[in-house]
Amino acid sequence: MNFSSAIYLTSAAVLITAFYIQGQRYLISAIRGQLVQSTIIAAIAFILAYTENSIDLLILGILLFFLRGVLITYLLAARVPMKKAYYFESGINVPYLFLVDLVFMVVSVFILYSIAFSGLVPVTLPDSPQDLLFPLLLFFQGLFLITSRRSTFTQIVGYVEEENALVLFAMFLLPVPIVIEASVFLDVLALVVISSVITVEKVNHEQMEELRG
Amino acid sequence: MNSGFLLAVLLMVAPAIAAATFFKRIEYSTIVAATVDVVIASLLYYIRPPVGTFFVDNVSWVFIIMICSVFLLSSIYSLRYLSGKTRGFGLRIYYLLLNLFVISMLFSALINNFGLMWVGIEATTISSALLIMTEKTEGSVEATWRYIILVSAGVTFAFFSVILIYYSFGTLNVSAILSMHSRNTFFARIAVAIALIGFGTKVGIFPVHTWLPDAHSEAPSPVSAMFSGVLLPVALYVLFRIYEIDPDPELFIWLGTLSIIAASILLGYQSRYKRMFAYSTMENMSLALIGFATLNPLGIIGSLYLLISHSFSKAGAFYSSGNFLKSTDTKNVEEISGTWKNMPYSSASMLMSSLGVSGTPPFGTFFGEILILYSLAVGNYIPQLILIVIFLVTAFIGINYNVSRMIMGEPANFKEPGRLMPAVSIISASIPLLIGAYFLVVFNALV
Repeated sequence: MNFSSAIYLTSAAVLITAFYIQGQRYLISAIRGQLVQSTIIAAIAFILAYTENSIDLLILGILLFFLRGVLITYLLAARVPMKKAYYFESGINVPYLFLVDLVFMVVSVFILYSIAFSGLVPVTLPDSPQDLLFPLLLFFQGLFLITSRRSTFTQIVGYVEEENALVLFAMFLLPVPIVIEASVFLDVLALVVISSVITVEKVNHEQMEELRG
Repeated sequence: MNSGFLLAVLLMVAPAIAAATFFKRIEYSTIVAATVDVVIASLLYYIRPPVGTFFVDNVSWVFIIMICSVFLLSSIYSLRYLSGKTRGFGLRIYYLLLNLFVISMLFSALINNFGLMWVGIEATTISSALLIMTEKTEGSVEATWRYIILVSAGVTFAFFSVILIYYSFGTLNVSAILSMHSRNTFFARIAVAIALIGFGTKVGIFPVHTWLPDAHSEAPSPVSAMFSGVLLPVALYVLFRIYEIDPDPELFIWLGTLSIIAASILLGYQSRYKRMFAYSTMENMSLALIGFATLNPLGIIGSLYLLISHSFSKAGAFYSSGNFLKSTDTKNVEEISGTWKNMPYSSASMLMSSLGVSGTPPFGTFFGEILILYSLAVGNYIPQLILIVIFLVTAFIGINYNVSRMIMGEPANFKEPGRLMPAVSIISASIPLLIGAYFLVVFNALV
């Protein structure tokens, strides 16, 4: 197996984790799914660092694993309420969500990729431009997770998924300067910390009369 | 070290020093820092940093002076507005966040790198999110969450734009890219379109504006003033810089027109005055976007005029709203009437601000709007021009009708909330009059 196939397979594994997260009703399982996803993306960064002989990608992989994988997972998992009413998302029809999710992803990615991204030639993976589909699919998967759930925790996981998609896209297309990548990581971390503050106040999100119109 | 560079650094250092005085009188050191920033920003007009780390031209300077001025007004207004507050964050945390918020905005307006501009915009979300929930009401917590999740999702999408810019030009340096001769590549155009949706979320462009009325209505009034007056314009500034790479006027002007239509219609339905002003911000930002999109020098000057006048008028509107809220304890237009008798100063500032934000002559916003409309006519965007004029009139009627209902009528038993808050409101609402007068003087001198 060459490196190109290895990256293709690990990218497919990233998508599997995204579907796994979408299918979870238990918050802690979704959070752990995010840990696995970030770790796989870190592994892709390490493979690319090796093939490209790039220190930046190596640093990126380390940042991905420790900040996004370990630290964010810890921050989220430590705040999941232990009451059953909160750690389990009720009223979710998983098969139905899967179906809508698939239609949404196929349509949105097909439109976006065919119009905007089909002519891109990745600098890192010049032989397999179709790999760019994986981050796009992951991005829309994160977006769908945010819109389809009402729990603060699941929405945060959806947001982290979006950010994972960005990193994957940037790694495949061309390595963006490390200073910017590092800033992105710190941004995400800070947003998750703030979100954790909100989870103390509000675990679920419903319509409110004051916020209509 | 170059003095312009030093000034640009000091601009961000002043609020950082104020933030460092967290344990001792941070509120007063913030006011001092804001005053210092206004002085430094004024000096920056004459002494510019060399193009390198920072990129300050006449356009970015307008945004810098706006940020510093509204920062000063809000930090003074907050002193009284937040005094006696019993729930939520304390005054020190509030001022700490306010300083960090200003630093992140200044960074976005000063920096000469699209990637770091993106980081700056995302940092404004981090620093401002907690400011919305200063009072920790249920509504404010929900509004904060919607703000974080919607804006972050939008700005995350904008990062695709940054990646595509890097892919197209091999650099993210703003001045270097803007000085290139051939910038009209396919992916640059895609980057500009993605930025419109991504950064447009933060600017409050339809249909990605939904966080805007929630955050503005639930945040403390001085924070709403910062949001409307400077945060949204700073996001618009970044969008404009990306737009300059490969302009697509049709797309931007049509989306801006739709956004004005949506804002004007939604504005008419509002029963809460802070939400109404939030939709008015959406309308003004869309118009400023259109002015920039024409790329006509008069259109760009019009947008800058509109933005700077709007920042003071809208800050005045939110300060006046804060006065009303403090005195009447309601955000509902229906429950307030006849404030003119016992709240003369707040009523006057409310009226002046509402006239200002709806583009009434001789406020600066009026002249900005006229220049933008003129540049649309020159560019032959006639259908958009007609639609915009119709809906600007609709918005004008909607805002001023609601404000006059609150002010006029049988005098009610409301009291002014002290002296400081009405004074700041009046000052803020009056500045667009001076800007309008300045425009007339310059215009007469030129003609």
